[in-house]
Amino acid sequence: MKIKGSGEKVKSQRQQQKERTRQRLIDTALSLYAREGLLATRTADVAREAGVSHGTIFAHFATQEALLNAVIETFGTTTAGRLHELASQGSSLREVLQAHLAGLREGESFYSRLVRESRMLPNESRQMLVAIQSVVSHHLCAAAEREMKEGMIRPQPLHLLFNTWIGLLHYYLANDDLFAPEGSVLERYGEELLEHYLSLLAP
Amino acid sequence: MKKCIACGMPMREPSEFALGDTSKDYCVHCARPDGTMQSLEEKLKSMTAFIVRTQGLDGQAAESAARSQMARLPAWQGQLREG
Repeated sequence: MKIKGSGEKVKSQRQQQKERTRQRLIDTALSLYAREGLLATRTADVAREAGVSHGTIFAHFATQEALLNAVIETFGTTTAGRLHELASQGSSLREVLQAHLAGLREGESFYSRLVRESRMLPNESRQMLVAIQSVVSHHLCAAAEREMKEGMIRPQPLHLLFNTWIGLLHYYLANDDLFAPEGSVLERYGEELLEHYLSLLAP
Repeated sequence: MKKCIACGMPMREPSEFALGDTSKDYCVHCARPDGTMQSLEEKLKSMTAFIVRTQGLDGQAAESAARSQMARLPAWQGQLREG
């Protein structure tokens, strides 16, 4: 029994080590994607930066695309978690928008790249961006529908309400070199964009 | 924290679980009125409609996004990955 027990422990440590390496590869890839671009970063660059052999990458991710998808998924889960945590059921539209901005701020450089390169990404990776937007639209539209019903904002189609917000944010993020060459676009303009957007919705 | 096996939504409050039952693995949005989980077809249809309604995508594009989203979730992985 002891042998079996210790055997299981070894296996579990190995498993833990494997998970740690996988996470390190995801974190390394995320920062490289943010810095160099999603399509410009090669798996060899990720391996070098993470201090592992090139083969190690493929022991964890079958293809370059699988690594990219794992990174987008991790980013999406974090953003969704943040939004869910900060904008609970019954939050105001302002609170949802603030939570969205706060979540994006945490991964702004990566998100900017994702937005800029989305049209060129493999289909599944691109669909994952739609999935991230679905979480945002779920929270945003729930709050907006409530406020429309209460007469706090003008009645309008939900998709236009959502796309107006996303369009505004993405325009600034996609051109961050023009709006905030040396820093965070969302830090510099987030509050202004939020106030402007809410003023457009006012009855 | 649990995540809904059918749509991926994080579930923290009892009100977020189907029938308010925290032992369930799926959320209030993925449950039918009687508390059972929606079928693949029902979920695909409702998720597609949700994407069209809140993001304005073309119907076909929305369905393909919904399908791809569902294929990554535990409830549908087997069925959609193979198909």
